Amino acid sequence: MSRIFERISTAVLEGDDEESASLVHKALDKGETAADILNEGLLVGMSEVGVRFKAGDMFVPEVLMSADAMQAGMRILRPLLVAGGVKLIGKVMLGTVEGDLHDIGKNLVGMMCEGVGFEVIDIGFDVSPADFVAAVKEHQPDIVGMSAMLTTTMRAMGHTIKALTEAGLRDKVKVIVGGAPVDAAFAKKIEADGYGSNAPAGSDLAKELVGAA
Amino acid sequence: MQVRKTNYLVNATPTLQVLTEDEIEAIYFSALRVLSETGVRVYEPEGVELAYSHGAIVENADEKSSLVKIPSWMVDRARATLPHRVTVVGPPDRNGKRNYVMDLFKNQIYYGTGSDTPFTLDPYTGERRRATYKDVKNFAKLAQALPNIDFFMSLGITQDTAVGTYDRWQYLAMLEGTNKPINITAVDIEGLKDQLEMAYIRLGGKTEWKKGPAFSLYIEPVSPLSHSEEVVQKLLFCCDNDIPFVYTPCPLAGATAPCTLAGTAVQALTESLFGIVLSQLRKPGAQVIIGGLMSNMDMKTSVYCYGSPEMALLSAAYTDITKWLGVPEYETAGCSDTKLFDEQALMEATFNITTAGLIGGNMIHDVGYIEQGLTSCPEMLVASNEIIDRVKRILRGIPVTDDTVALDVMDEVGPGGHYLAHDHTYNRFKTEIWRPTLTDRRDYNDWTKAGSKTYQERVHERMIELLEADVEPLMDEAMFKELHRICELADERHKDEELDVQMFV
Repeated sequence: MSRIFERISTAVLEGDDEESASLVHKALDKGETAADILNEGLLVGMSEVGVRFKAGDMFVPEVLMSADAMQAGMRILRPLLVAGGVKLIGKVMLGTVEGDLHDIGKNLVGMMCEGVGFEVIDIGFDVSPADFVAAVKEHQPDIVGMSAMLTTTMRAMGHTIKALTEAGLRDKVKVIVGGAPVDAAFAKKIEADGYGSNAPAGSDLAKELVGAA
Repeated sequence: MQVRKTNYLVNATPTLQVLTEDEIEAIYFSALRVLSETGVRVYEPEGVELAYSHGAIVENADEKSSLVKIPSWMVDRARATLPHRVTVVGPPDRNGKRNYVMDLFKNQIYYGTGSDTPFTLDPYTGERRRATYKDVKNFAKLAQALPNIDFFMSLGITQDTAVGTYDRWQYLAMLEGTNKPINITAVDIEGLKDQLEMAYIRLGGKTEWKKGPAFSLYIEPVSPLSHSEEVVQKLLFCCDNDIPFVYTPCPLAGATAPCTLAGTAVQALTESLFGIVLSQLRKPGAQVIIGGLMSNMDMKTSVYCYGSPEMALLSAAYTDITKWLGVPEYETAGCSDTKLFDEQALMEATFNITTAGLIGGNMIHDVGYIEQGLTSCPEMLVASNEIIDRVKRILRGIPVTDDTVALDVMDEVGPGGHYLAHDHTYNRFKTEIWRPTLTDRRDYNDWTKAGSKTYQERVHERMIELLEADVEPLMDEAMFKELHRICELADERHKDEELDVQMFV
């Protein structure tokens, strides 16, 4: 592995966004391709972050700093990757459902998803089924993630899936759900494509659903 | 009477203090700065208008919400009418007597359960599953039987009833099991109205409610610094209808509040102060209890910790703040992050129950919670009752008087004698020495003869015994039917809502 890729992955691991961005520029200047910088630099760093996090050697705030460093590099690479026809891992659209203002869990999932290379569209909280439908039309994500913190607002997950079906969009996206009162049985009942019990499980699930796990 | 002793100070109870007055004031004045400089986001136009028309600054309005900044003088004014004492009185027994009073003011402790866990551990199989009407009724029956449980919150969401109307059914299940004071939850204003109607019926009229409201309402603004539409509507309705309410944010240090515990306390206080201001604008004298539910995020698992030392410490610090403010407080204890009734459950519950008792948090809730508040555990409730009993012994302290230092008794018995048969022992051992109910102190032989049971096993057996005990219904058939009818009517009104009925089980 080239020395520059190693330094990029280290910058990601250390959560140094300025360093990772400047190294990505440097690598491009040296003639490395965007795809190589992504796969052999940024993603190698994030994958090590994942390993260390699961082993309990890294903690959430550190993981989020690394995800930030990864994103700093991705912002430079994304246009080049798109122009070069390189297929990115995918696009995840996230929102907290109607009636619910609790968004910390959804934000965590978003940062974790960015950390593993997804493009993340955050449509906020208290999002009505109609707004989910409109946003799916606009952003055309691969995955729609919904979050709810209350049993009363969990209903809106079912309502949103129904609205996606009625709009003819249900088979164009994978729907994943999460939040404190949600479980796998409920996800199945409302015919979601998956349930994540926490933020890393959510990003793992997203990877699995786009065939990148 | 001959008097010799002077300048003699007594410590009637051991004391615990986390913050000094200077520290409390530093936190309070910081909260005032946040409230007036950063502001809070309010998602209810009526609440925004109420604050605005009395002097608040309203900025950055969007279609759903406004940023509201409260000048400090508005807080001073609100505090002038804020009650220092709030009382909730349970419904009457069959003789019309209201036996259970929760009288909340400085240094008064009342322990009670927590509310609305999606899951519960089955009392017989231990299986983790969605909670039902029957579970809520069972937990209420346990709480009724346990002397150290002073108020009840629904240890489980009734999920075999319609989601949009579960709150009425849940209240009915609670009323079936207990006539202790209750802290309810409500889906929305309609749910709150129905439950108030049910309470009027249960008490025998609105006048009885005025003498002593039978429930308080749990209201939870969202951290950081957000007050949702539903939350503000509930607050206003409570003010208008003389319903005491708990206004408690649940900030999570490091995630939805600053990582530093002092910062979390400032933010929580800011969130509650907004509730206090709004309530006193709506109705001077409106009865508010402020939280007390704050903890840290576990940075490995990203969960809200219910058994962490930080939670116990923060809650205790918040009690110091509320004592200084002169407002009743909602404390948190008897809860754990464990998944079943095990050593961790007991360790964490012991820790937070003790801290809450020593500091003197008023309305100490969440007894019976495990798994970060997602699951209720009947054994945890029963064991906590005994833990609370131990703590109450500690709280009785060591009175040091001529009688208790027992010089004359010692002189009488003298070197080499014994005290077992002495009147001094006979007359005082029952109050002086705490007696356990579930804790084992037998010798090894007697313990093995009795089946070599662990504490967990003994608690489980006691729990089943309480659950299966024959008890008189707390209300007559006619009243039950009347209350049941309100729940049915609510279901009727909501019957067209999809995915609502029996969504979970």
